Amino acid sequence: MKRVCIVDAALVTAFGDGLAPLWDGLLAGRGAIAPLIRFAADRYQSALAACVPDLIAIPGESLLVPLLERLLAQLGPVPADCKVLTATTKGGIDILEKLRRGQPCRSRAMLPGDLPGRVAARLGLADDGLNINAACASSTLAVARAAARIAAGQTEAVLVVGIDLVSEFVVSGFSSLQALSVEPSRPFDVRRSGLSLGEGGAVLLLMSEERAQRDGREMLGRVLGWGSANDANHITAPARDGCGLIDAIGRALGRAGLSAEAIGAVSAHGTGTLYNDAMELTAFGRIFGDRRLPVNSVKGALGHTLGAAGAIEVVLGLRSLAQQLLPPTVGLVEPEAAGRGLVAAVPQGFAGDYLLSTNSGFGGVNAALILGRTAC
Amino acid sequence: MLSARINGIGWVTVAGCGQGRLRQDFVLGAGELPQLSRADVFAQPDRRFGRMDPFSRLGLAGIAFALRDAGLEVWQQKRAVGLIAATAYGCLGTDCDYFDTVIPGGGALASPQLFAYTLSNTFLGEAAIRFGLTGGGMVVSTASAPGLAPLGLALESLSWGEEECLVAGICDLNPPAGVPEVPGVPPGAVFLVLERADRENVSSYGELQKASGGGYFLDGSPVGDVAELVARCLLTKNRD
Repeated sequence: MKRVCIVDAALVTAFGDGLAPLWDGLLAGRGAIAPLIRFAADRYQSALAACVPDLIAIPGESLLVPLLERLLAQLGPVPADCKVLTATTKGGIDILEKLRRGQPCRSRAMLPGDLPGRVAARLGLADDGLNINAACASSTLAVARAAARIAAGQTEAVLVVGIDLVSEFVVSGFSSLQALSVEPSRPFDVRRSGLSLGEGGAVLLLMSEERAQRDGREMLGRVLGWGSANDANHITAPARDGCGLIDAIGRALGRAGLSAEAIGAVSAHGTGTLYNDAMELTAFGRIFGDRRLPVNSVKGALGHTLGAAGAIEVVLGLRSLAQQLLPPTVGLVEPEAAGRGLVAAVPQGFAGDYLLSTNSGFGGVNAALILGRTAC
Repeated sequence: MLSARINGIGWVTVAGCGQGRLRQDFVLGAGELPQLSRADVFAQPDRRFGRMDPFSRLGLAGIAFALRDAGLEVWQQKRAVGLIAATAYGCLGTDCDYFDTVIPGGGALASPQLFAYTLSNTFLGEAAIRFGLTGGGMVVSTASAPGLAPLGLALESLSWGEEECLVAGICDLNPPAGVPEVPGVPPGAVFLVLERADRENVSSYGELQKASGGGYFLDGSPVGDVAELVARCLLTKNRD
C-alpha cells in the first residue's frame, strides 16, 4: 500500500479566506455565527448563521461560484493528471430557490454533478471528476475515497473539494425540523439546544508520498485510516448507541493499523444537537474507555457547514497535529457529563502523532478519518 | 484488474419493475415511470414507503428488487453491505416540492417531512433501515451520464476489502421543469448486487471486471453502460 499525504490545502469560512483567521479566531474563542442578512429569516427558529463575508454572485449564477473561486485561487500548482472528487450536499441550491420563485436561471450549478466539472475546467484537469453526497459526511468520504485510491496505487494525486452554502432552503428545513439553536450552537454543552448553520469550503490535494517527493511538495500531514458505516436506524436521527460511528472508527483504526491508544486527540462532528452529541460521546466512550483525551467541535464557532465540514475539519486537524494543540469548543460552558475531561472551552494541548476526525449525517451515515503528523 | 461476481439485478424502468431471475423484460429508455405503490414492491405493509418522496421510492424499489433477486432481502441481523448510487438529478424534484412549501408562508409552512428527503442519499438510509445494511454508502454524480461509474466504485471498495458485498447502480427521475437536462440519462433505477465471490445456492450472472485503464468487461467482453450490462446478464441467464 502507498502512503498518502496532503500537500496543499485551501480554506474559506465565515472567518475569511485561509487557515490563519480561522485558527487565530478559534484559539481566541471567537465565533462567527451572526444574524443572517442574506434573506429574511425572522420566521425561522433561528435567524443566525455563519456566512462567508463579501460573497457576491454575478446575476443568474450561484454563490457557490465565487466561493469556489476564492478557494481555488489559494492553491499552488495542481498536477494535470490529478483526479477530482467534490463533496456537497446541496451545491447551487440558491439557483433552485430562484427558479421556484419564478426567476429563470440557466445555471447548471443546481445539478449535483456540476461541481466537479467546474473544478476540473477551472484548473485545466483532464479528469471529469465525481461529486460525492453522503449528507454531512460528504467530504469526509471524499477524502477517504481519495486516500484509498492513492493507497491502492490507482492514482497518484486527487484534489478533494468540500463546499456548501447557507441558503434559505437549508435554514428553513432545519428550522422545520426544530433542529436550530436560537443562540450560537453549543456543542457538547449540557444546555445545547440545536445547531447553527454555516457555509464555506476546503480544498485538499492528496498525493502518494513518492509523488509528493518527486514533485518536491511539502507535506502538511498524512491520511492513515478511513472508515464509514451506516447505523441503519433512522433517516434523520443517529442510533443512540453510536453503533455506526463505532463501526466507522473501528474500520479507520484497522486501516491505519493503530489501536485506540495511539489517538492523541479527536475532532468530533459536534453539531450541538441533543442526540448527535450524546451519540458521539457514547461512541467515544466505547472506543476510548475511561481515557480522557482532548475532543473538540468547531461548529459553535463556524457553524455546521454540512458537506464541507469534514474537509474543513481535516485542514484544522492537520494544524492541530502540527502544533499539538486542539482549538477550544466555542460556545461550551458546562460540558455534558460524558464529555467532562474531554471537551473544553479553552485550547487543549496534546502529545501524539494521530488525530481522529469524525462526521455523521442524515441517512445514518458515519465516517472517520485518522490523520497523522508528517513525521509519523 | 478489479472484479466481482454479479449476484443480483433489480430495476424499475418505464417498462415496469423487474428482477433478473424472474426473466422479466428489461428496457431502460425515455418515458414516464410507473407510480410506485407499496404493493408494487413489498407484499407486507410498510410504514415508511408511503411517506417517502418519489425519488426515494424509486431507489428503494430498485435496491429491494436487486436484493430479492440475490436472495438477500430477508435478514435477521444487520449486515455489512454497502450501497452506491449514481444520479444526475438526484432529489431535485423533491427539492422543488419542498421549497414550494417554503415560499407561501415566508417559511412558516415549510414541510419537515419533505425536507428529510432533500438529500440525494436519503433513500440509501431508507434501504439501510429496511434491509439492515451497515456498510458504507454514498450517492455520486457526474456532469454527464455516469456510465458504469457506480459499479466501478463498488469494484474499488470490494478490492480494497472495505466491503464483502455492495448494491450499486443508477437512480433518476425525469428532471423537473426548468432544470437543465443531462443527456443520456433515462429515468429509472437499476441496481446490481456485487460480491467478491460466488455464494452458495446463487448462480452468478457473470464476472464484472474493470481494467486499470478504465474499461469494463463482463466475462471478458467489453461492456459500455448499465443498460448493456444488464441486457447481457439477462441473455446469459436466459441461456442457463
